[in-house]
Amino acid sequence: MKELQDLAAKLLAEKTVGLVIGWEQGPRGARPAFVADPKDAGRLIFDNRCVHNLAAYLSPRRPHLRGFGRIAVAVKGCDVRAVAGLVRESQLKREDVVLLGVRCGGVHDEPTDAGPLTAENLADRCVGCEVREPPRCDHVLGELPPAPPSRDGRRAGRIAELDALDHAARFAFWRQELSRCVRCNACRQVCPLCTCERCLADKTDPPWIESSPHTRANFAWHATRALHLAGRCVDCGECERACPAGIPLNLIGRKVAAVVERRFGYRTTDDPQVPAPIGAWKPDDGQEFIR
Amino acid sequence: MSGEGKKPPMDTDGHRYGKGGEEEKPQMDTDEHRLGEGGGATTRFLGRGDLEKLVAELLGAGTRVVAPVDAGKGETEYRVVGQFTDAKLGAALPRRSLKEFFLPPTEELFRWRRDGAGLELQEAPASFPATVILGAFPCDAAAVQTLDKVMGWDYRDDPWFGRREATTIVALACNGQDGSCFCTAVGLGPDAARGSDLLLTAVRDGYEVQVLTAKGAALVGRHAARFAEACDEDPARNVRREACTRVSSNLQATPEKIRGWLQANFEHPIWKGIALRCHGCGACAAVCPTCHCFDIVDEPEGLAEGARRRNWDTCQTPVFTLHASGHNPRADQNARIRQRLNHKFRIYQERFGELLCTGCGRCARACPGGMDLPELLGALEKLAVSAPVPVPASAPVPAPAGGAFIPPPGGAR
Repeated sequence: MKELQDLAAKLLAEKTVGLVIGWEQGPRGARPAFVADPKDAGRLIFDNRCVHNLAAYLSPRRPHLRGFGRIAVAVKGCDVRAVAGLVRESQLKREDVVLLGVRCGGVHDEPTDAGPLTAENLADRCVGCEVREPPRCDHVLGELPPAPPSRDGRRAGRIAELDALDHAARFAFWRQELSRCVRCNACRQVCPLCTCERCLADKTDPPWIESSPHTRANFAWHATRALHLAGRCVDCGECERACPAGIPLNLIGRKVAAVVERRFGYRTTDDPQVPAPIGAWKPDDGQEFIR
Repeated sequence: MSGEGKKPPMDTDGHRYGKGGEEEKPQMDTDEHRLGEGGGATTRFLGRGDLEKLVAELLGAGTRVVAPVDAGKGETEYRVVGQFTDAKLGAALPRRSLKEFFLPPTEELFRWRRDGAGLELQEAPASFPATVILGAFPCDAAAVQTLDKVMGWDYRDDPWFGRREATTIVALACNGQDGSCFCTAVGLGPDAARGSDLLLTAVRDGYEVQVLTAKGAALVGRHAARFAEACDEDPARNVRREACTRVSSNLQATPEKIRGWLQANFEHPIWKGIALRCHGCGACAAVCPTCHCFDIVDEPEGLAEGARRRNWDTCQTPVFTLHASGHNPRADQNARIRQRLNHKFRIYQERFGELLCTGCGRCARACPGGMDLPELLGALEKLAVSAPVPVPASAPVPAPAGGAFIPPPGGAR
């Protein structure tokens, strides 16, 4: 913690960066912190409530953060994949950001949850974590914590259950879930990879996706989003956490990621040089669906 | 609201319709129906078993009953219930507010069908099912009454008032949820009666019932066998007082001072950094009981027909203010949060004499970025107290006769 605070203060004082984005204690648990004055660096924390993927703030859609110049951002190992996604897609120049990697032993579901991690309260995406040591960062901070408690992935189990349903029953499940969507767009706004300057859902002429939150349009929106995030979603879970309707959006992301892995042999990676299937073509890509 | 003490300071007859002209009444003034003004509401007692029977009677009579139900992970949602045991009364504040039962996330205004050269319009149904909302939280009930003002301002919103008239709100005094509650700082309280037809307070073996409106009295009258004579009021009063004390400790604010400060400080440096952590996701507006902005869209369904719908909208998105020219008067998220605070704590009050916030704290709980309205209000309060701005005694900007966009002299509506 002290290491992170001292480094942040130093980077700001030297004017290496104009802003450090990290986490702090807020009125309701941990939350994103924005430190521009080295004197405020003492606010920075890192612990198992720091669930937020701060790479979202590096998106070019945030004009109010552009005025600060170069930004340093604290990232967990898994968050690096989102930064890599932005670099891969030319939304961010790697040299424009200083990555402060924090060694991580897993996080809770919610930033308001507290206490030691257990198999019960561990965020599902942390099960079997392979990136406790953050890769490709400019600085790596903290002690390497023990691996998160082990258990079966709940979402993997839930996806297997849904896969086992027949088409009508699976459709009924999603109709029920998506009927609750109010199209507030929270899922899109918190997503570090939803970087389109003009989202398809905001286009009105023609209105590709109806803006009314009826179930038909909600299907169109979530299907479009799932396909556009295929092979790009980094499984940070921010969309599901942000959803005020409590829709299990991570199930969609995880399912699509599994399909992409099976079809294209690709897993979202922290190496920005590896092209993602959505923006690349290989001669041996499966094409049996073309008839 | 047993007369004394808790009357919200904003809850005066603050309508600023047609000032100076003939007195225009708002389309529905629930204050009119309030029985206990000044003298304390009529009080009854409803045993737990009788509440269950009451719900069975309502359902048996074909009345739609809405109540908080379990939504998993310790959360609840207001939903239509099929039986009493589905309701989870007095538990967690529902994820979203009551507003969707009066202003649904999407609703058809009319349908059209082209038939050769002809055009046929089909109005949306104008009748609404009789509904009792049971276990409403006082912050949500209050919000509905606050929104009556804008919904009946320069145009009577028929779907809104149709649902309002068909609905009886039975609120349950709240114990306070957590540190994000601040109803007491916006002139309400966990036992505020505003907007409710009946207000229940949980006491041993049942509920003390305050009968607040004619509609509430009618409900009691129709099910008279369920309601006993008033119980000893002291236990209920103590429950409410303790809840008020608990919530008051979260935030102390003087909305009048904040309003004056907002009015004088539109360009204050604080706005430049107010929303750094805000994603502009609009979850705050989706869960807010008082955010009521909507968008109207025409949606074709095939070549010959379609529907005009209105949908929830939010000032937190760039497209909310994007001009056809490409210019956006609210350039970034800082400007959008400034707008949100101004609308809630200045503009609505200037127009209607009421705050557009009931202190439910949902925006703070829902925010994925950790924006925290009680914290912001605390900061504004500090600024307002340290640099006080003289506040005119009455609202400084009278509403234009025809509403914000329609100023024809002579005021055709």
